[in-house]
Amino acid sequence: MGLKEVLKPLGAWRQIARKPHTILVPKVHREAAERYRGFHVNDLGKCIGCGTCAAVCPNEAIDMVKIEGIEGKKGDSGFRPRIDYGRCCWCGLCVDSCPTTSLRMTNEYIWIREAPDDFVYIPGYDIKGFEQKEKGYRKDKEHSFTDYHRVPMREKEPEERLQTFAEVVLGYTEEEARKEADRCIGCGLCISGCPDRMHIPDYIRAVASGEYERSVNIMYENNPFAELCGKVCTRRCESYCSLGNEGDPVAIRWLKRFATERFSDLKEVIRARKQELKDKSVGIIGAGPGGLTAAYYLALRGYKVTVYEAMPEAGGMTMAGIPKYRFPLPSLKKQVEFILSQGVELKTNYFVDPEKFRNLMEIHDAIYLGVGLLKPWKLGVPGEDHPNVIYAIDYLRKVNFNESVKIGNEVVVIGGGDVAIDAARVSRRFGAKVTIGYRRRKVDMPADREEIEGAEEEGVEIWEKIIPLRVEDAPEGRVKLVYGKARMVDQGPGRRPKPVLIEGEEYEILVDRIIVAIGQQADLTFLPQEFAEKMEVERGRIKVNERQMTSISGIFAGGDVANRVADAISAIADGLRAVKGIELYFQGKS
Amino acid sequence: MNIIERLKERFEVLIAEKKRKDLLIIETTKKGLIPMLFYLKEYEGYRTLTLISCVDWIEDKKFQMSYILWNFRMKANIIVKFMLDRENPDFETVYKLWPQAEAYEREIHEMFGVNFEGNPTQNEELILEDWDNIPPMRRDFDTLKYSMEKFGEREPKSRINIRKEISEQYDEWRRK
Amino acid sequence: MSTEEVRLFIGPQHPGVTGNMSIEVLLKGDTITWAKTHIGYLHRAFEKLMERRIFIKSFPLVCRICVPESDTNEENLARGLEELADIEIPERAKWIRTLVLELSRLQMFIMWYGGIAGSMGLSTPVQWGIGDRDYILDLFEELTGGRVYHIYILPGGVRKDLPEGFEERVLKTMDLIERRLPEYDELIMDNAVEQKRLKGLAPIPKEWVEEMGITGPVARACGFPYDVRKNSPYEAYDKLDFDVITEDGCDVWSMLLVRRREIDLSIKLIREIVSKMPKGEFLTRLPNVLYWEIPKGETYVKSEATRGEFGYYIFTDGSGKPRRVHVKGPSFIHGITLLERLLVGQNIADVAPILVALQICPPEMER
Repeated sequence: MGLKEVLKPLGAWRQIARKPHTILVPKVHREAAERYRGFHVNDLGKCIGCGTCAAVCPNEAIDMVKIEGIEGKKGDSGFRPRIDYGRCCWCGLCVDSCPTTSLRMTNEYIWIREAPDDFVYIPGYDIKGFEQKEKGYRKDKEHSFTDYHRVPMREKEPEERLQTFAEVVLGYTEEEARKEADRCIGCGLCISGCPDRMHIPDYIRAVASGEYERSVNIMYENNPFAELCGKVCTRRCESYCSLGNEGDPVAIRWLKRFATERFSDLKEVIRARKQELKDKSVGIIGAGPGGLTAAYYLALRGYKVTVYEAMPEAGGMTMAGIPKYRFPLPSLKKQVEFILSQGVELKTNYFVDPEKFRNLMEIHDAIYLGVGLLKPWKLGVPGEDHPNVIYAIDYLRKVNFNESVKIGNEVVVIGGGDVAIDAARVSRRFGAKVTIGYRRRKVDMPADREEIEGAEEEGVEIWEKIIPLRVEDAPEGRVKLVYGKARMVDQGPGRRPKPVLIEGEEYEILVDRIIVAIGQQADLTFLPQEFAEKMEVERGRIKVNERQMTSISGIFAGGDVANRVADAISAIADGLRAVKGIELYFQGKS
Repeated sequence: MNIIERLKERFEVLIAEKKRKDLLIIETTKKGLIPMLFYLKEYEGYRTLTLISCVDWIEDKKFQMSYILWNFRMKANIIVKFMLDRENPDFETVYKLWPQAEAYEREIHEMFGVNFEGNPTQNEELILEDWDNIPPMRRDFDTLKYSMEKFGEREPKSRINIRKEISEQYDEWRRK
Repeated sequence: MSTEEVRLFIGPQHPGVTGNMSIEVLLKGDTITWAKTHIGYLHRAFEKLMERRIFIKSFPLVCRICVPESDTNEENLARGLEELADIEIPERAKWIRTLVLELSRLQMFIMWYGGIAGSMGLSTPVQWGIGDRDYILDLFEELTGGRVYHIYILPGGVRKDLPEGFEERVLKTMDLIERRLPEYDELIMDNAVEQKRLKGLAPIPKEWVEEMGITGPVARACGFPYDVRKNSPYEAYDKLDFDVITEDGCDVWSMLLVRRREIDLSIKLIREIVSKMPKGEFLTRLPNVLYWEIPKGETYVKSEATRGEFGYYIFTDGSGKPRRVHVKGPSFIHGITLLERLLVGQNIADVAPILVALQICPPEMER
């Protein structure tokens, strides 16, 4: 130690001549970094109020609140996040977990106000002046907490499918199912899409944690046809899945299928408590999903239930209409048998005519009509009575009941719904060359997207904007369809464009069979005159109140004959709703 | 002979798990613990006590006591643990083997209520002052409940559960 | 001359104390005859709170266990959970984590370097230290979106990739800091007052190191090559080329020398990391974090903080929340067991430099 150690520290005086490192706040505004985690902004139009941000917030800084101008609707809870900056710790986990990517942060970090309430606000709604800031923390989809990619469902190869009526979809393995189920963030917005309001997040979470038995029990709380829905449901829920806004929705249908298929004997799995027997009986006409659902829950509530079915097997359209490669017979049998085991009596080959109907009204305290739609709509063109013009609904029933049908080598199917696709794919399995003619565009087809893709994979050709004009006889037992082309005319916002025939052009196609699949209508001829007069019918459907009661007290109706959606899950929902209606009706009566 | 075998030869070893190449977990009994720690320190080179920890397995009515040792030459950790009866959490101090055990045990005594026989300072408050409840790190102590009772609701926050709210919104249909 | 002993409380509000803690001492004249550490002034029950939270929600919490060096906590917890849940993270994530940890160590050392001078009343380097540290915080801001609490390391990797051109800016900041260091040295190392006061101050008996579990720069100043980065390499440290720094003086001056050399080493390591940074993915997909459950298990993970061995003893029980997380901060031993013994016989004026030399961080003592 010497003089050097005394003098050297004096070198620090050099700093006096240097430029300072500090900046003069607030005269100089320092722009924060590109990904700085500052105040939040929220795109209210994109936000669906799923509440994931509130669920992941470590400080309970996020509250979901109702705000003016935003109503809850299907797929949107109507709530929006409100952030309390007295609690927020700027971690940005909310941004990482937002499934719609609507919530993000700006790089704005200065906000000076006297009132403490100014620090609690709804981003995007309370305008703070930095909404337009582009910079700030945001998360790209691949690295957010949300997994947007569905576990693909394995299917049979198209060539293999055409050989047989075996199921096309192979189903998830346990590992795949749990991985897929784990994607669910549990927001519950899907429930808004389900006509039956199934407890979707609960049973999906049960699958994710491997509790399959619990999962199936949750499903059976309001759906005794869970396996049916697992295979052929129109899955409206998936269109409202919060993950579907930016990626693939959770495969709710396939997960239901996975869980229900694991159990061959439902009696050992479902722990439904049967109530004591009551002195009332209900007659159910039509053993479709709606009728049997009503039967199941009525039986559980202790009522005596008898189901009358015209066909030799129970199941209604799911038995007669859905091809077996989508919904195998053993699966249906298993579910129907379980329902019958709850004390439901089933009478098959029992065709109700006016006389029998009067009798049923006598012996039962209430009647539920689940008769479905059996009469096909006709094309309404000249020559339609030609024997080679057949109706898809009859065709599919015959195939499903193993009756022989001849369709020849070339077939054209008219229509764009699920029935049309079913008829086309069944015909492909018989080796025919199949063309679907639809009057609108392919994107307008009401059939399930996956079904359309499946049909195309199997070699079904889809022609758009086809309007049949007439049917003509052709040599060698064939038939000629003469058709015109349509152009789409815009009908204004929110309405489907309308196909309008282009006049003066005519085309023709020579085929062996024309299969008509443009829908069905109700056939209410079984009603005796005195009932038919009183029964209110609206645009071809029986009019019911919110508890499924028709205009005649004591007669309830549901399913395709009463609703306009005409799918299995709506029929199940109607059946379940009717149970409550019937119970209330009995309470009011006694 | 590796260390697990040597330990098994001398002491009661209930579980021996090699977690990583430098981390070994040994479970022993209450009786066997201090002799094992002494042996590890004096003969196996695990001369450093890194940590004493306690975990409340309330459903088994047990406290798990863990002692993490470090071997400077072998560059390896060993965790020696045993299960202590939760109803009578009495044990002995290892303060004589390692001085830092005094403070660790003092903290565990305060936070879990484990009594270390022979520890001179365990009854002195370390972190908590005038504590009026059960030892707070026990699983049956509810921080939120305690804070509500003691200090009241802090601010008028609606505390709605959005998941429940959404589900109830759609439940209206079911209630009909 | 009176032989009466005076009882004196140093802290919790005292400029020479490194945080909210107090030391109760008995004085005989200027000399301390007995010392006792009192903590509990900032107990925030982190460990208890973590037991009530899903795993992902713990990350904004743990970084607050040691404010100036938050990344060590995040990294430890993330690595522990990955081990328990059996998750493999991408190579690039490991390197980015190493870079973050090393930057974090460097900024802490620079602040400390100013702090040790401040503890003896030389306040110029304190300002410098905090100022120069801010250049590293600028880097953190750019990389993580936060300056102090980064919440950047999550299980599965890191939250964001390096921004465009970040490596060059890191190197530029390293050059800047390297240019500044000689000025610090002039003021601290080449200062007669500092040398006179620190050389030979508070010698630690060598046998205490192993016996008491002393770690980090304090142990290395006593000649023990104890460095978790080398002894139990984690993340990408096993692929880096460096030697453990030791000094043999056992006194505060040696601790100062060790830390001064650590600054150089950190700069060297950061340059090496930047040059070796691999390309690729930086995050693996976790299970759904809202419902993430980890099978029952326990593990002890540790890393080298600037203060010594920082460990996380983590228990999971198969549920979505940890059963217990025990945070082992090096200051627990340094601040209670070691300090109480080391202060005996020291001058009252030297308490502050000793505290800073041991680098006691109260929040990690009471978690």
